[in-house]
Amino acid sequence: MNAQSMQSMVAGFDNEAFGSQAVFRVALQALSHPGQILTMPMDAQLPQSGHGAAALLLLGLLDADTTLWMSESLAQSDAAAWLRFHTGCLCVSDPHEAQFLWLAQGQDQGNDQGQAPNWPSLAQLRQGSDAYPDQSATCVIEVQSLQASAPGWVLQGPGIATQQALQVQGLSADFQAQWADNHGRFPQGVDFFLTTTTQVVGLPRTTRILNSQEA
Amino acid sequence: MLQSFDKSATAPANPRAEWMALLARAPLPLLEQGLADHTQSTPQWLRRPETGLMMVQGRVGGAGEKFNLGEMTVTRCALRLAAAADTPDPALKDTPVGVAYVMGRNHRHAQLAAVADALLQTPAEWPVLEQRLLAPLRSHVQAGQTRRHAQAQTTKVDFLTVAREASGGDEEESS
Repeated sequence: MNAQSMQSMVAGFDNEAFGSQAVFRVALQALSHPGQILTMPMDAQLPQSGHGAAALLLLGLLDADTTLWMSESLAQSDAAAWLRFHTGCLCVSDPHEAQFLWLAQGQDQGNDQGQAPNWPSLAQLRQGSDAYPDQSATCVIEVQSLQASAPGWVLQGPGIATQQALQVQGLSADFQAQWADNHGRFPQGVDFFLTTTTQVVGLPRTTRILNSQEA
Repeated sequence: MLQSFDKSATAPANPRAEWMALLARAPLPLLEQGLADHTQSTPQWLRRPETGLMMVQGRVGGAGEKFNLGEMTVTRCALRLAAAADTPDPALKDTPVGVAYVMGRNHRHAQLAAVADALLQTPAEWPVLEQRLLAPLRSHVQAGQTRRHAQAQTTKVDFLTVAREASGGDEEESS
């Protein structure tokens, strides 16, 4: 870390113990109830780049034993320095090595018009093994918007009573196909958190995604 | 990484590294005295003082293989100086950031060392602190070294060896 990134550094949680526990509670809730939109408690100073909810989630989950991969625009930003400083995590350049991945919204993700995302396919990430499925990667992906009561996806699976509607804007076009593969690899596979600036949605590997017409 | 802070007689290549090394070994009274009125200000914490263990590594003869020497207790913190009250400017982030890693568990020591580090980065403060804080610290560290050196010297043993005869000896044998 150089003196320049230190100069623009901001503090982390206002109250470290309560702040990280609140974030962990949200993460747990999100993965227990896939598709439910939760609001992240914002009691920390945040870096300028990246979504606040994504930054907080990683601030709560990372420590010195974890590895993190960030998409290009984030890896250069103050958010990377901020996470390094407060969590001591190891930033890696190979997505396959990473236990956590953070994908910024915008150019890094490609778009609906089929522009290739600057993002490794899900199959390239750590999948865990049959003996240790917990060693797979966890991805935090920033999206444009999350809405529960709009046509889009219908989610089914453990943690959802019947079905859960969710509309996500800002994901690449082939995400659903990749997700079907990821779901098919159970018990291996990666888990997702989708974030906007303040909201979080959990998408564990057990969840099936259908289009609302199919359901 | 192997660096020596105290040996070079010339000006250090990185003045910040030099003063951070000095501050880390400063006795608390000297710090309180040198910082004077700055000790009372409440800083903006980036990382509150926290105590932990660090593994100290050494190299045999300063250049051999690395080995673990042992763990030591270290307290570290990072802070930003509180902006002066008459600057409502949101760009108060530009006040310098001070960092300290000090030996032991004294949170106050870590805080004052970080405050001093931040102040020393301010060009206006540097000459004052150089004279009032760093100079006494330098002589303190120097005095400690001289004392230890003198102590070590008392254990020095000079072995007397019978010097060989003048270099002419060999020639006489060969002749």
